[in-house]
Amino acid sequence: MYDPFHEVLSDVRGTILKQARALDRPVIGVMPAYFPLELVYASGGFPVQLWGNRLAPSRADAYLQSYCCSVARSAMELELAGGADMVRGYAFTSLCDTLVNLREVYRRVVDKPTVELSIPVTQTAEARRNYLSSGLDKVNRGLQEMAGGRMTPESLAEASELYGRVRALQRRLYALRLERAGLVSNLDFYAVLKAGSFLGPEYYAKLLSDLLEKLDSMDPPEDSGPRLLLSGLVYDPLELHRILDRLGVRVVQDDFANGWRTVSKETLAVENLVEGVARYLFGPAPCCCLYNPENDRHDYLVDHARKAGADGVLFWYLKFCEPDAFDRPQLMKRLTDEGIPSSVVELELSMQNFDAIGTRLSAFCEMLEG
Amino acid sequence: MTEFQTFSKMKELMTAYYFEAKTTKEKPIAWITSGAPVEFLFAMDIIPIYPENYAAMCAANHQSVELMEAAEAQGFSQDICAYARTDFGADILQGGPVGGLPAPHFLLCSTNICKTVIKWYEVIARKYDVPLFIVDTPFVHDGLTDDLLEYTVAQFKDLEQFLARITGRPFDHEHLAEVLRLSQEAAAYWKKILFLARTVPTPINSLDSFIHLGPIVTLRGTQGCVDYYQALYEEVAGRAADKIPSVPGERYRVLWDNLPVWFKMRRLENFFQERKCALVVTTYANSWGGLSNYEDEEMADPYRLLAASYLNVYINYGFEERIRYLSGLMDEFSLTGFIMHSNRSCKPYSVGMYRLQEELSQRTGRPGVVIEADQNDPRVYSDAQIEARLDAFIESMEAAS
Repeated sequence: MYDPFHEVLSDVRGTILKQARALDRPVIGVMPAYFPLELVYASGGFPVQLWGNRLAPSRADAYLQSYCCSVARSAMELELAGGADMVRGYAFTSLCDTLVNLREVYRRVVDKPTVELSIPVTQTAEARRNYLSSGLDKVNRGLQEMAGGRMTPESLAEASELYGRVRALQRRLYALRLERAGLVSNLDFYAVLKAGSFLGPEYYAKLLSDLLEKLDSMDPPEDSGPRLLLSGLVYDPLELHRILDRLGVRVVQDDFANGWRTVSKETLAVENLVEGVARYLFGPAPCCCLYNPENDRHDYLVDHARKAGADGVLFWYLKFCEPDAFDRPQLMKRLTDEGIPSSVVELELSMQNFDAIGTRLSAFCEMLEG
Repeated sequence: MTEFQTFSKMKELMTAYYFEAKTTKEKPIAWITSGAPVEFLFAMDIIPIYPENYAAMCAANHQSVELMEAAEAQGFSQDICAYARTDFGADILQGGPVGGLPAPHFLLCSTNICKTVIKWYEVIARKYDVPLFIVDTPFVHDGLTDDLLEYTVAQFKDLEQFLARITGRPFDHEHLAEVLRLSQEAAAYWKKILFLARTVPTPINSLDSFIHLGPIVTLRGTQGCVDYYQALYEEVAGRAADKIPSVPGERYRVLWDNLPVWFKMRRLENFFQERKCALVVTTYANSWGGLSNYEDEEMADPYRLLAASYLNVYINYGFEERIRYLSGLMDEFSLTGFIMHSNRSCKPYSVGMYRLQEELSQRTGRPGVVIEADQNDPRVYSDAQIEARLDAFIESMEAAS
């Protein structure tokens, strides 16, 4: 049932090439996070999401120090190793200090165009709107040059419908996981989600629909291990989900930037693109990287965990991700105060040995079940 | 450090500043980032407190490790900025040279030095349950544009309203004009002082300028700051005229990029003195001269002038501009080489630095070195490794001479 998704992940390169040919669109690499894929698609591109990979940095080491996160380092490694040769250009957002500088490095080292959506984090509403408006004009021009097409009301509406549909289907999968915990293994769940990063929206939507149809009639196994909410930037490395499966953990909800924080976004409203993109960027789930006091992350996470009936929260910490690291101690304290147990694991995308983390997870699960 | 007579005046100035901040009953206290527009605070008689400055003081006094450990014990990862960890620890233990900082009434933070400060200040805002105002100054990839200036100006206007609400008084525009004049004057003196380092041999070195940064960071916009830098300027100018070197027998003239290594100031000073190597200019200290870069007629609107100077911060600019600026300094200050501090605690300064080193060396034909260190965390610093790299670098300057 999950084979089509796992097959994508076992041959990402082949998948992208095949999809790009079928779509007859140039591949645009979309860096983390929240760059609306709709804008790329509406400009004639095929957006492929690059949330890092398992390559250990060697060539990228010449440019990025060891204290850069493995998302940035492995993405650059892929480019320098030639693995991203089909990518015609890159779309960035101003998500964090590392990614802002990474774009500058790419501009000097990689002979491909780049564009950045600069995300305004001011609370001065009109200034935010105006700045975002001029920023979107720049993005529009950049994407046009990169992808070769022009963003029009029609192309935006089409892209918005397609990606809106994809996220709605993903939300159905999330809802199903919540209602029938354990029905989808953690590894399969995130493989399904991740495969979407490399597929055209229509094709992916079809795969998702087929899967959901099959799952609709299936019952979950009897109650077993603890129900967890995972929180972090990226749900990789997938290997870790295999360990969670072995421990009988049922992940019932998440708070990943490339998981629920993105999946929860409603269909991009394109009639007023500036307002639409602002809503897309800042809601509904808060992100540690985007300052937005109107959507408090502490209250949100407590509520998110409660609604999911989670027995505990596991912080999935990607080493050197400062925005995540700053939030965590106070968040963990708040969760403790609210009677929600939490723990943390430290990860690198290229890590090979999961023994220590497995032991830690096992101890956390025992504590929850205790 | 070079023994300037004015140094005692700085100590007096900074002591009085911290004393007032710690004892005031009337004036509100705002914690503020080093690149935030402090002029608006002085215009409303609010005392600005700089956690960054305090963290640096803690490290220079060799107190940062104990403080960072206190923060780490509360779960703050060693991956986050060591300034932030030092300050969190100082707050937990009420430690450091003045026994912790006075509690804030509100926070003012600007993103021109990094986005990390948002996270840092969010932590403080939650802890003290105080408002946080952010002046978002986006990264300037491709030069200063109208949309950037307008965006920043609009936030300044909003900041004025925020301050009026906080203090319960209308914003004092007249006082702001006076504060701006003083800030510009202090920035002009600071820049003139740093430019005296073009003299061969230099009468002031970068380790001196790091030490003398205190008032321009914390007190720009006050008369005391202007007076101090005027006095320092006169003293340094006198030494320049008399050709008194800050590094006796000066043989090498070097640029330092990034923050200092605060906990190694004395050792590095001795190291460079012994090798007759003068650190002549630094991108870091230069960052506070920006307000004097604009002529009145060029920027008649004070808000646009302020916006331009707060956006135009070295690490808020794209690499093309950084290279152009660095190359200019190499020539202007007759430099023989450059040192780049790859600073684990400061990603905007450091990520991409190896590429900058490569390009700058190619463009100027002069050697450069990158050292891996940290501004505040001695636990990730190795004397032997760094000094071996610096020695090799000095040899390469010798070979190129």
